[in-house]
Amino acid sequence: MSPVPRRGFLHGVAAAALPAALPDPVPAPLPAPLAGRPPGPPPFHGRHQAAVLTPPARCTAFTALDVTAGNRAELAELLRTLTERARLLTAGRAPDPAGITAPPADSGLLGPDLAPRTPVSLTLSLGASLFDHRFGLAARAPRRLRAMPVFPDDDLDPAWCHGDLGLQLCADSPDIVLHALRDLTRHTRGAMQIRWRLDGFTAPPRPSGTPRNLFGFKDGIANPEVRDARLMDRLVWAGPHSGEPAWADGGSYLVVRLIRMRLEFWDRIPLAEQERILGRQRDSGAPLDGDREDDPPHYARDPKGEVIALDSHIRLANPRTPAGGDQRLLRRSYNYDRGVDAAGELDAGMLFCCYQQDPERQFAAVQRRLAGEPLTDYITPFGGGYFFALPGVRDGADWFGRGLVHPT
Amino acid sequence: MRAGAGRVPGSPGRRAGRRRALALALLALATCAAPARPPGKPPATTAATADTTATTGTAPTVDAKDTVDAQDTVDITPGTCGTGWQHPRPGPQRFALRNGAAVPVDARLTDPRTGAVYGEVEGVAPGTTRPLRVRLGAGSYAFACLPEDGDAVTGPVVRLGGHAAPGPAARPVTRAELIPATLDYQRWTARQLAGLARATAALRTAIDHGDRAAARRAWLTAHLGYARLGGAYGAFGAAGRAVDGTTAGLPGGVHDPRFTGFHRLEYGLWHGEDGPALRRCAARLDADVRALGRTWDQTRPAPEALVRRVQEIPEDTLHLELAGRTDYGSGTGRATAGAQLDATERVLEPLVPLLRTRYPGLAELRRRLARTRRDLEHAQHRRLDADFGDLVERLAEVAAVCAVRRAA
Repeated sequence: MSPVPRRGFLHGVAAAALPAALPDPVPAPLPAPLAGRPPGPPPFHGRHQAAVLTPPARCTAFTALDVTAGNRAELAELLRTLTERARLLTAGRAPDPAGITAPPADSGLLGPDLAPRTPVSLTLSLGASLFDHRFGLAARAPRRLRAMPVFPDDDLDPAWCHGDLGLQLCADSPDIVLHALRDLTRHTRGAMQIRWRLDGFTAPPRPSGTPRNLFGFKDGIANPEVRDARLMDRLVWAGPHSGEPAWADGGSYLVVRLIRMRLEFWDRIPLAEQERILGRQRDSGAPLDGDREDDPPHYARDPKGEVIALDSHIRLANPRTPAGGDQRLLRRSYNYDRGVDAAGELDAGMLFCCYQQDPERQFAAVQRRLAGEPLTDYITPFGGGYFFALPGVRDGADWFGRGLVHPT
Repeated sequence: MRAGAGRVPGSPGRRAGRRRALALALLALATCAAPARPPGKPPATTAATADTTATTGTAPTVDAKDTVDAQDTVDITPGTCGTGWQHPRPGPQRFALRNGAAVPVDARLTDPRTGAVYGEVEGVAPGTTRPLRVRLGAGSYAFACLPEDGDAVTGPVVRLGGHAAPGPAARPVTRAELIPATLDYQRWTARQLAGLARATAALRTAIDHGDRAAARRAWLTAHLGYARLGGAYGAFGAAGRAVDGTTAGLPGGVHDPRFTGFHRLEYGLWHGEDGPALRRCAARLDADVRALGRTWDQTRPAPEALVRRVQEIPEDTLHLELAGRTDYGSGTGRATAGAQLDATERVLEPLVPLLRTRYPGLAELRRRLARTRRDLEHAQHRRLDADFGDLVERLAEVAAVCAVRRAA
C-alpha cells in the first residue's frame, strides 16, 4: 500500500473519543507527513502487523474464514503457510515455477514478474470461535475476545457475521488484492474456507482534506496520532500491559462492521437535515459552529444543542468530555459498493474497521451512546465481527500465532 | 484449459476445449505413440559436436539474491538445439527460447541422465521467441527440441555444481504408458453402463406403476450409478447431456421439451408429477442409457481425456453438487458427491503406478481422499467444500504430471 497520498487520515493528534460508525471529523492540525521511511510497502517483520497503523490503502478485501483444519497441528501448518505466502506476497516476489509437475505457480494476474511496484499488505486476525473445543486453545484466548454482540440498531445476517479468522488485504488496486487472495486461498485449500468477504475502497480528497464517505460527507479525520508510541500502547496495542497473555503481546482488537447506507433515501432529504443529523457542513466538513473541518466544536457554548443538535452523530459519538479519552480507537474504514439489492436499490455502504486495546471499553461504549441516533434511519449494520489481530511476525523464523498454537 | 496438455500426433485438436467427450475421441489406441526412448537412456542425437560442459561454482551470492536477471536466448531450432546458453548458473531464471525452424517446435529443459523435465514450452511458432522460467540447482541439464512431426533433438549437456536444489521435475508420461489405464477404464465403464441400464429400467417400471416412493428410491440408485461413472464435465457429450443434463441453456427451464434425463425425472418425482409426460421421460432415459452403452462399446477413450477426468470429476462436484446447482428437489447432492468421489478414485487408481516416481504427494492425496470420504457422512458443508477444494488442487497436479507428452 502506498501511504503517501492518504496521510490526511492521520489528522487528530488531540482528538478525544471517536465515533463508532460514521463521520466524526474532529478538528486537528494537519500533521507533517510520516518521515524517515522510504515509499513502498511497510516491512513485513516486526513487533506489530505492519498494516494496523498505516493509513487505509485505495483498495481492500476483508475476508472472514472458517478453519477446517482437523487439529492443532494442521492449524499450525495453516498459520505457517499463511506466513510464508504473506512474506512472499508483501515482498512482491514471484513464486518458483512448477515446471510440468503442476499448473502455473502464479495466477499471472500481475504479469510475469511481481515486483515491489505491486505491494500488498496483509493483516491476520483471530475470531472468538477459533477458541472453541476444536484446537484446545480456549484457555489461551485473548481475554477480551468475544463474538460480536447484537447492538440495538443492527439487522445482522448470520451469513455475514463472525469467522475463525479475519484476513484483510490492502493494496493500491483491486487486481493486486485479488492476486493475493487467490494465492493465499490456493495454498491453504482444505485448511480454511471463506465464510464471507467484502471488498472496499477509499476515495481521494474531494477537493481537499479528508476523503468523503458515500453520503458525501468528509469522514475519518479523528484518529489518534499513530506516531505517538505511548498513545498507541494505551489505545491500540494489547499485551501483558493490558492483561493479555504473553503470546498476544503486540496484537490489537479489530472490530469490523458491515454497514449498509441507504443512499437513495439520504439523497432525498434536505441538506440542512443531513447536516443536522451529522453535525457538520457537507461542503467544508466544518462542525456547524465552525468554518473549517479542523475547527473544534464548542459544545459548552451550546448546551441545548441549538447549533449542533444534542443527538447529532458527532456530538453523541464524541461528546469531548475528559472521560472519553480512553474510548478513542483507531479507525481504518473503507467504502463498499456491491451492486443492487432485491428491490433495485444500490447496495453500498461502509466497511468499518477499527483497532483498539479493548473492544468493550472503546468500540462498544461509543456504539451504545449512538443507539437510536437519527442517523440510524439511513444506515443498517448487517454483518461484521470481533477479531484479535495477531502480533507481528518477528523474523524469518517466526510465524503468525506461533506463541499461541506452539508455545515454546 | 490446462497449459500442460501434451500434444499427441493424431489427437484431435491439441488445444480444443476441455468439455470434450470421452466417447467422441474415437482413437485407435494401436496407432498412437511416437517411438519411446527408455527413460534415462542418453539421446541419440545431439546438436552440438561435443557436449559443452559448463561447470560453475556454487554461486552463493546469485542464489541468495534469488533474482531473475540477464536472460540467455537459447536456440531451439532442431539443428542447433540448445545453443546460446551462455551463462549457466543456479537459481531462478528465465530463458528466451527462439525457434528458427520452419515448423513449430516443442522445447524442454531436461535432466539428460534421467529424462526428467524441468520445464517445457509447447508449439513455439516458427521465427518466434517464448520465455521459459525454471529454477536450476546442482545437476545436469540439456534442452530437447521436438519439431512438429520430426524426431527430437537434444542439445549440449550443461552441468552445474554446488548444492542448490533445482525446481521440481518429472519424467514425461507417454501415451503408451497410459494405454493400460485407459483400457482398464474402458472395460470398467462398459460393465458399469450395463448395470446402469438395469437400474434405469427398474426406474422406468416404478414410474409406470405410479409408485412414487419406489420410484424415488430407484431414481437415486440409478442416478448414483451414473455419477459413479465419472460422467461429470461433459464426459459423454450429447448422450451425457440427454441422460444427466440440467436446464442450463434451455429457454423453457424445467418445462423445456429438451429437458430430459435424471434431473427431469427428479423434478417430476419431487414436485408431485405423475402424468404421462413423466412416464415418457422415464422411457426416454431408459433408451438413452442403453444407447450410451452401445456407443461406449464402439469407442475408445483417449488417454489424455482420462488423465483430465481425475481432476474434472471433483471440479464438477465443487461447482455443481456442492454449490447446489444440480438439485431439482431430491436434496441428494451430497450422495452424488460421494458417488463422484468413487469415480475419482476409480480413475486415479490405474494412474498410481505412474505417479509413484513422479508425484511426491501421493500418500497425502490418499489420506485426503479418505478424509473426504469420512466427512461426506456428517461434516458441515464448509468442511466438505474445503475437502473438495483441497482435492482438486492436488488432483490438478496429478493431471499436470500425467498429461500425455511426446517421448523425447
